[in-house]
Amino acid sequence: MPPNRDALPHPTPFKALFLAALFGLIAYMVVVIVGLVAYPPLPALLESLASPEILFAVELSLVTSAISTALCVTAAVPVAYSLARFSFPGRRIANTIFNIPLALPPLVAGVALLIFYGPSAFGQMLSAWGLDVVYTPLGIIVAQFFVNLPYMVRVARSAFETINPRYEYVARTLGCTEWGAFRQVTLPLARNGLIAGLVITWSKSIGEFGAVLMLAGATQMKTETLPIALFLNMSTGDLDLAIAASVILIVISVASLSVFERYSDTREVF
Amino acid sequence: MLGIAGLSKRLGDFTLTDVNLTVADAEYFIILGPTGAGKTILLETIAGIYAPDAGTITLDGLDVTATDPKDREVGMVYQDYMLFPHLTVAENIGFGLLQRKAEPARIRESVQEIAGLLGIGHLLERTPGTLSGGEQQRAAIARALVLRPRVLLLDEPLSALDAVTRDRLREELKAVHRATGTTVVHITHHFEDVFALADRVAVMQDGRIVQTGTPDEIFRRPATEFVAAFTGMENVYCGVSRVRNGEAAIDLGEIVVRTVTAIEGDVCVGIRPEEVILSRQPFESSAANTFRGTVTAIRQNGIFSRVFVDTGLPFVAVLTPQSVARLGLVEGEPAYVTFKASAVHVFKR
Repeated sequence: MPPNRDALPHPTPFKALFLAALFGLIAYMVVVIVGLVAYPPLPALLESLASPEILFAVELSLVTSAISTALCVTAAVPVAYSLARFSFPGRRIANTIFNIPLALPPLVAGVALLIFYGPSAFGQMLSAWGLDVVYTPLGIIVAQFFVNLPYMVRVARSAFETINPRYEYVARTLGCTEWGAFRQVTLPLARNGLIAGLVITWSKSIGEFGAVLMLAGATQMKTETLPIALFLNMSTGDLDLAIAASVILIVISVASLSVFERYSDTREVF
Repeated sequence: MLGIAGLSKRLGDFTLTDVNLTVADAEYFIILGPTGAGKTILLETIAGIYAPDAGTITLDGLDVTATDPKDREVGMVYQDYMLFPHLTVAENIGFGLLQRKAEPARIRESVQEIAGLLGIGHLLERTPGTLSGGEQQRAAIARALVLRPRVLLLDEPLSALDAVTRDRLREELKAVHRATGTTVVHITHHFEDVFALADRVAVMQDGRIVQTGTPDEIFRRPATEFVAAFTGMENVYCGVSRVRNGEAAIDLGEIVVRTVTAIEGDVCVGIRPEEVILSRQPFESSAANTFRGTVTAIRQNGIFSRVFVDTGLPFVAVLTPQSVARLGLVEGEPAYVTFKASAVHVFKR
């Protein structure tokens, strides 16, 4: 008689080993992150969180990330819809081009932006009009937009792709223009996907460092976003302020991740 | 009246080629064809979703080939309903009236009236996801009908439903058509739909209309081998036809079949299984064709038995189980296959 399954050790060595790997690594991650938050004494952490430099960094990060995220969403909707719906020559290449910033190190994207907005003819022209992008808060927005647009495009594209185009066809036979069908049917159906994309884009732009460093520089109290504050204070040995910036970034990441998970899970409903 | 003339459209792997159709007012017109024949593209082109590469579409004599879908007054119902999932059933049905900026009170009234006609008046506040397939399809039909379209396009509206619901909704489609007098173009690949609903039928194959006529014409006189196979003609064989004095002898290799046709040369013939008579002994009759063979298989198929007889060519006949028992037909025993000259349908190859 073959051995009964109940006769095997319970749980099986296979299951025990794999679960041990899972829980071991979870413990490792939690210890590392909580260790950072718990490292400074609480009063020192609170004092650092309330320091003018951190408050400035929070405000600058919130303002720039809000603007760049809004621009990303506005730009990504038509781009993602076109990639999802329309057939045109070069569609595959267009898709690849929109993915380049995903694969590119943000530092490289930052250097490219620096050249484009700095010494190039276009940069000189903007400068002559009084629009200085290089080493200004405006540069932060430009860098965040460039690096994060592909994330928004990807999420929005997959949101549009899951919607059967026949919803729009029916809406149009019922009296909608193309705009009307898009606004009244497609956008509401893509809503959860777009919210998920917005949250992940916002979270990424809050944390964007490399491209911002290159294009906007790291000037204290001028282009000092949270990641830049972390970097500046680490390099001057001011550990408490650096950790304060990290703690805020951790809270933002965890919160936005949970919102993203919530909306990207329910997206399959349609 | 819907008129389609010389319509051609290429879209990905699908093509429509030189489609010509006329559908009269209040007519129930069915387009029959296998999956991939281009039927859905034809409907979507009529609805204005796609612009044709060539040809014209007219509604009541007006050329609407370049008219926006919203201005065509053509209703569309898909196999998978396509009810807007973020709206209630009432909002779905009222969607078109809302686009026309109708008064909220009038919208409510019209929605209730059409929902009552389709028996979904009690479901108006539900969302589509909570409805059964049959209920969703009724809502989708109501959504199109409430605008009183000049033509209602139905794209396999019964295919996604279970057999019982399908039969019931088929009866309701007939009743709704009679009650509203709407012109209907209905796509299907089910033959039952044709006999239950259609005034006229067009058969589509590879993006072309290969035959148009009444259901009886299509069934009795299929115009091509494809139509015959598709409509259930099973004894299809190919050979050479020679006509003398109006009578044709068609040499199928193993046997020669006699019939009346003017078609000569390479042909295929089709004989419906229900028109094949089986007997244990040859008998005197007006039937022109009798062949001796051997019973190779007897299969129960629903309420009928299908008896296979090898006469050099494999014939299948449909009999009641009682007839099989009365004749004493047994596998391996000889039997005679008899059919009339008029039962032989001849198609050019």
